[in-house]
Amino acid sequence: MHNSVSAAGAMLLLALALTAPQPGAQSGALQNDNHTPLAAAGQAHSHRRGAMKLLLENAEGAQINLWKPDLTRLPLTIEHGIVTLPATGVDNYHALVIERDWGYLHETLIRYLYLHGKPSGHSTSELTAAEKSSFEIVPDPVPREHQHYRSDQQWRFQVRFKGAPVAHLPVELLSSYGSRLSAVSDERGLVELRLPDDFPQIETGRRDRRGAEFTLSAELSKGGITYQTRLYAEYRVNPSHWHSLELGILAGGIGMLAGGLIGRLAVRSSR
Amino acid sequence: MSPWKNVSVLRKLVQLGAFLFLVYGGSLTGYYLEDKLSGALPALSCAYDMQGADLCTLIPFQHQMDHRLGEAIAGGGNLMLGLMPTLITLATFLILFAVLNKAFCGWICPLGTFQELLHNLGQKLGLQRVESLPSATVQRIRPVKWLILLLLVFGLPLLAGIGWVNHDLGDPFCKICPSRILTTLANAESTELYVDSASSSTLVLSILANLLFGVMITLALTVRQPFCRICPMLALHAVFRKLGMPRLVKHAVPRCDRCGLCAKACPMDIREIHSEMQKRDVTFEDCTLCGRCVEFCPDKEVLQLRYLGFPVFSADPAYFKQRKQAQRHWENTTLLDRRKSGTGKAGITPP
Repeated sequence: MHNSVSAAGAMLLLALALTAPQPGAQSGALQNDNHTPLAAAGQAHSHRRGAMKLLLENAEGAQINLWKPDLTRLPLTIEHGIVTLPATGVDNYHALVIERDWGYLHETLIRYLYLHGKPSGHSTSELTAAEKSSFEIVPDPVPREHQHYRSDQQWRFQVRFKGAPVAHLPVELLSSYGSRLSAVSDERGLVELRLPDDFPQIETGRRDRRGAEFTLSAELSKGGITYQTRLYAEYRVNPSHWHSLELGILAGGIGMLAGGLIGRLAVRSSR
Repeated sequence: MSPWKNVSVLRKLVQLGAFLFLVYGGSLTGYYLEDKLSGALPALSCAYDMQGADLCTLIPFQHQMDHRLGEAIAGGGNLMLGLMPTLITLATFLILFAVLNKAFCGWICPLGTFQELLHNLGQKLGLQRVESLPSATVQRIRPVKWLILLLLVFGLPLLAGIGWVNHDLGDPFCKICPSRILTTLANAESTELYVDSASSSTLVLSILANLLFGVMITLALTVRQPFCRICPMLALHAVFRKLGMPRLVKHAVPRCDRCGLCAKACPMDIREIHSEMQKRDVTFEDCTLCGRCVEFCPDKEVLQLRYLGFPVFSADPAYFKQRKQAQRHWENTTLLDRRKSGTGKAGITPP
């Protein structure tokens, strides 16, 4: 990282991002109108359609846009460090894009949010394909509707500058619990990362609904300008902690035996 | 008989094409749900299959009962708004359904195709198979699909939305549906073959799902279409079958009394096709419009598959003779070369 960037000292920070949640609690910066935490920024199994609030730190001079599924943009303002995400009335992923230009430094934060409403009629692939900022990390793909990022899952992301893939660029992942991973983009600008399985105090066999945050960040220098980008997302505990494949196979095997037996009985009785 | 004139062979080709498209066609249509063809397919193409081209209508129905109508009732909201997504899904379903009617079961459904292939495998392995289930058994099984439709597709999800049962019962049919396990396994994903200890509800449902999947696999080797007989999609089709353009039509003749080959050919054991002497439209509630009864009807134009009233395939004595021969050849050829068929009655069991 360039010294000049580090010295800036007032980088954009989504307050939700790197706050380790207490066990049993949800990451707590996205809030609904009642200021109660919304676990998954619209990715939770909730169909609330009201406005949401987002805490944003060090955001002086930042431009905030909410990209709707049809790629129209809704400019948002920040008041007392809080960005209010209005109900757009449209179902599907939206992209919250926060940008700030210092001249020598261009910062971008992006978060994909699933908001509920009427069917959008647009594929999420349109939103991910669009150039939302000059330098961005794009999920490839975003977890499908009703799906989530889960710990210990492999996911792919693409680094793009002005819409074109950026090869051989270091990308770093940092989780709420302090896990740090790094990778380098390939020729197509793609990086694959296995999300850390770092939720503490997981009890095998017991459902765990916790969510935490991870950020993917990258930095690029072009024409004397340093571009920084961060992708924020939520990930959840992998259900393999309370799903048993072995017992599933056993139950399936017992079913097969039972089916064979029923079949034999049926053959006998049909004679 | 040329395979290209054999309706069962043509149907199998359509089924295999539909299977490949619906289970692996996501690369053609797109990854996200918005990319899928309809989101309300009248066949068990599972949304849990990330590579699928479409998803079955039972998924949105459960989801809408839980999150739209149920929550509208619980919250005292506008019921019409709560019901609107369900009506839109139903309308989409009906537009598709009108085109193929119950042939979605007999020609398109990946799970139906899988069971037919298993039964073919049973025949090729030389297993003793059931020609027809006893009438009393068929009668006892028939209400089960209605119970599953009312309870698991609409009832429990609605109660989950209202808050009377826990949210793990928000999509109970998906949790036991063999198509979920089949289509994900077909994509080399074992993530749906699990026992879920999250709650007592998920534990029971996941054990039931795996048991049901196992039972279906081995039972299909000897009994035709075991899961289809209790499938809620079959029940949903039955409700709207009068709106479909393809129909099975019968012009009964006195000889029908003494024949009954049509009922023996039927993979769903619908004996009413044989016994019905008055009604012209014999698209009964369990019919999948597979056309086997027409193939094995020896009398000219007694049974017909009609589309918008126009005959597209009619019973024909010459076709029957050739088809019977082809069937005998099929039955007598097994992988183990036992030179005998499971049922020993050529012309009846499915190729």
